[in-house]
Amino acid sequence: MNFNFFQPVLLIKIITLIVIGFYMVFAFVISTQIKAMENIINLPHASSVFKTAAIFNIVLAISLFILAVVIL
Amino acid sequence: MTDIFVAPKQDKSGTLFSQNIFSREGNNGPALKAKEKNFKKILDKKQTVKNSSLYEEPHMNILSSFSQYPKNVSFHTQKENEQIILFLRSRFITNISWMTFTIFLIFLPAIITFLLPLFQINFLSSDIVTHFTTIYVIFYYLIVFSYILINFLTWFYNIFIVTADRIVDINYLDIVVHNVSETKLKQIEDVRYSQSGFIPTLFNYGNLFVQTAGTEENFEANCIPKPKEATDIIAGILGENG
Repeated sequence: MNFNFFQPVLLIKIITLIVIGFYMVFAFVISTQIKAMENIINLPHASSVFKTAAIFNIVLAISLFILAVVIL
Repeated sequence: MTDIFVAPKQDKSGTLFSQNIFSREGNNGPALKAKEKNFKKILDKKQTVKNSSLYEEPHMNILSSFSQYPKNVSFHTQKENEQIILFLRSRFITNISWMTFTIFLIFLPAIITFLLPLFQINFLSSDIVTHFTTIYVIFYYLIVFSYILINFLTWFYNIFIVTADRIVDINYLDIVVHNVSETKLKQIEDVRYSQSGFIPTLFNYGNLFVQTAGTEENFEANCIPKPKEATDIIAGILGENG
């Protein structure tokens, strides 16, 4: 094992996973904020479109995190 | 034998003839007379607004910025009989700056990939670097997606609503900051608008200012379409309310 090469790669991998983890939290915040705004004002067609976008964002973030754990 | 229901007569605008309703009840008590008077007043007010040249039939899609009497729109503190008269948000064309930047962001990785060989950089030489690059590119596009979503939400949820009783200003400043403020129409002292610049004049949008009495917060709706008409409508409602 090339010890000198392994250490920086591991560090970058951990940092990458932490950053993606933060993004997952951020995606949840967006979803929560959309729910909060839906409670404040009800607009036609908005609810379904934004909920779908927010869930899509969360699913992508979780998928990316899993992918990063697997291939890095 | 089945009962036959005779619906009350309606005029062309869909409002009921008030005389029929009250004549059936019997016009005796002073309370009933007062009720009739109030009802007629409401009908007259509705008719005045509908007959005005500014009245438009409610048509609202997801990108509407200016709508009178919008259907299927409600807000959390709305009372049962409170109708939204005017719904405003910034004109869609004001999103052009972040949309242009988004297009640039979408093509940026492709531009970088095209430019790197010109500088004789071949960083995708090993598997580990390829894996990292794959993750970073996907992550980059996720951030771009969030950027689009946040900017769109910021435009979409910055709303200015006028009802017969009050003005409600919903400000969606940031992804973690939103502010809802409202004022009664009787608190309003002045309504004015400003429209300056080539682009606002071309696309007919501007800023609407509502000044309230005393220490109450002033209201501002930025980049709304047809600011003059919006000002006229609010002034008209204020005039009707005395």
